[in-house]
Amino acid sequence: MKPPESDHQLFERLRAGQEQAFVALYHRRQPSLYRFALQMSGSPPVAEDVTQEVFLALLREECGYDPERGSLAAYLFGIARKLLLRQFERRRSDVGLDTGAEEAGSAELADVSDPLADLTARERIEALRRAVSSLPRRYREVVVLCDLEEMDYAEAAAALGCPIGTVRSRLHRARLLLAGKLRDERHGSASVPAWKTARCAI
Amino acid sequence: MNCEEYWNDMAGAEPAEGFDAHRAACPSCAARWAVERPLAAGLRLLAADMQDVSAPPRVEVRLVHAYRERYRQRVSPAGGTLRWWAAVAAVLLIATALWTGVRPPPPLVAANAGVAPAAGIDEEDVAFIPLPNAAALPQDEDVDLVRVELPRSAITALGIPASDDGGADSVEAEVLVGPDGMARAVRFLN
Repeated sequence: MKPPESDHQLFERLRAGQEQAFVALYHRRQPSLYRFALQMSGSPPVAEDVTQEVFLALLREECGYDPERGSLAAYLFGIARKLLLRQFERRRSDVGLDTGAEEAGSAELADVSDPLADLTARERIEALRRAVSSLPRRYREVVVLCDLEEMDYAEAAAALGCPIGTVRSRLHRARLLLAGKLRDERHGSASVPAWKTARCAI
Repeated sequence: MNCEEYWNDMAGAEPAEGFDAHRAACPSCAARWAVERPLAAGLRLLAADMQDVSAPPRVEVRLVHAYRERYRQRVSPAGGTLRWWAAVAAVLLIATALWTGVRPPPPLVAANAGVAPAAGIDEEDVAFIPLPNAAALPQDEDVDLVRVELPRSAITALGIPASDDGGADSVEAEVLVGPDGMARAVRFLN
């Protein structure tokens, strides 16, 4: 059985004008790029635009992809990330601002209980989705790339333009933050009294 | 195994040996592992839940359109794709002409396609027949020569007596295709 073509081979063929190679590469890489953009932006239209722009960038004469510097996947994610950063700067809509306050306190290791215990699978998924989307951007992107898209550290580092050690330390920090957020959410919801609604007489 | 090796190996595809031993000896890693294990399981659930999420099909449509715009000029006119489309167009044109019963002008004219004739065929023996309603080829115009197979009846439909020597049902022909991709003339090779 013929092994599947590498991303680089598809890239070479698409640059030679072979549309099938372009479509094959799109089908292979588009879902994870779209999900990355969606998790980072929280907006389907933004994710759609970013996905489209990433592949349009690939068609430009000087697209900037250099196989010596990293894989094509890392290059595509790097473009997506730059486009998202531009979006964030333009719209100032990044839900997770890089504030020290968010990191303080949440990264405690004292409570080692399972922050997802007693939740159904669906509740776990939704709680994690909220927690991931509320992470500061630099932590969210490593969680999305490494934990959700299962990218290895080296490739994630190439996509993020940082050393592998930075990816590891951010991921460690991100997981602590996630655990803290999940615990806060659970404790918060448990400690909130059951408010009764009352009709306003005014 | 030290703490750094432990966490680096944890990220690998294959679990390394000595994980349990390290955790038993290192309360810090044991505590971290206790937090991260359920979290990792939850993240796998979230990843699986999003597995089918992808860009809407309209993105692909727009990109393929952009690709065609971008690379249309780069596909060599002598390349296989254009040549094959020209062949298809030529066959369709000839078939249409034959179907409608249009007859070509009687005189047979030779045209210089500027290409070598088929192997074993003397160029001077075989003339190109202008196709009905086809525009004339101007002098010094670049043309493509496309070899096709046509039904034997095509010969008689163009006004040429076909020998009934019990040969094949199809005949080999060469079609002159103009720069606009339209077939202009045909010559039969056997």
